[in-house]
Amino acid sequence: MAMLPPTVVNVRIREPDSRGFRIWLPLFLLWPLLLLIIGSALTVSIVVDFVGIIVGARYHDYTRLLLGCMQILAETRGTHAHVHGHDDNLVDIDIY
Amino acid sequence: MSEDRKRILDMLAEGKITAAEADTLLGALGAPADGPSPSSGTKTAVTGPPKFLYVKVTGEDTVDVKVPLGLLRAGLKLTSLIPPQAMDQINESMSESGMTLDLNNLKAEDIEGIIENLREMEVNVNSKNGDKVRVWCD
Repeated sequence: MAMLPPTVVNVRIREPDSRGFRIWLPLFLLWPLLLLIIGSALTVSIVVDFVGIIVGARYHDYTRLLLGCMQILAETRGTHAHVHGHDDNLVDIDIY
Repeated sequence: MSEDRKRILDMLAEGKITAAEADTLLGALGAPADGPSPSSGTKTAVTGPPKFLYVKVTGEDTVDVKVPLGLLRAGLKLTSLIPPQAMDQINESMSESGMTLDLNNLKAEDIEGIIENLREMEVNVNSKNGDKVRVWCD
């Protein structure tokens, strides 16, 4: 089960009358920031769930919900979208 | 040749069972009596759940999309973790839109079953203007 978020996103957009552009987004550079955010959120969610269990709250799955969201983010790796219009518009997105 | 297979063939040779019964028994062992069927010869045996959903459109415009099915799996699993109040609202909105699917009843084994069976799914659309749409999982 992959839990690592995407490392690189490659976006290429081209319009008929222009050269267009290509962006290579090194998302792995944001991993330390993401780690900080997720670490803080996980700490809070664990505390909230623990309190929820103690007081007998109906719902105490915030930690699992957060992990599920991270899982969705990780599963976007491998996505590829390529659209080439008849008027020579081009959109290319790759998530690695 | 396995011991069970030999025993069935012996029983057939001795006339204790008919050829049809032998065929059934051999089939139950997972070894067809007459080898692989011709229809299955063209398709390679692929096991395990499919990995990606593909959408391909050819014609005036070209669209090529590949989506990991892990995304679908993770998304469906997340539905079981949505807070009940939010889930009730989602189900209500879905039923208003004509979708009577209750996401509360979606279990992990159902999700795996859905994804496993997606391998068999293939959608082919040929429009009048020559556009072709193909959706499949592999």
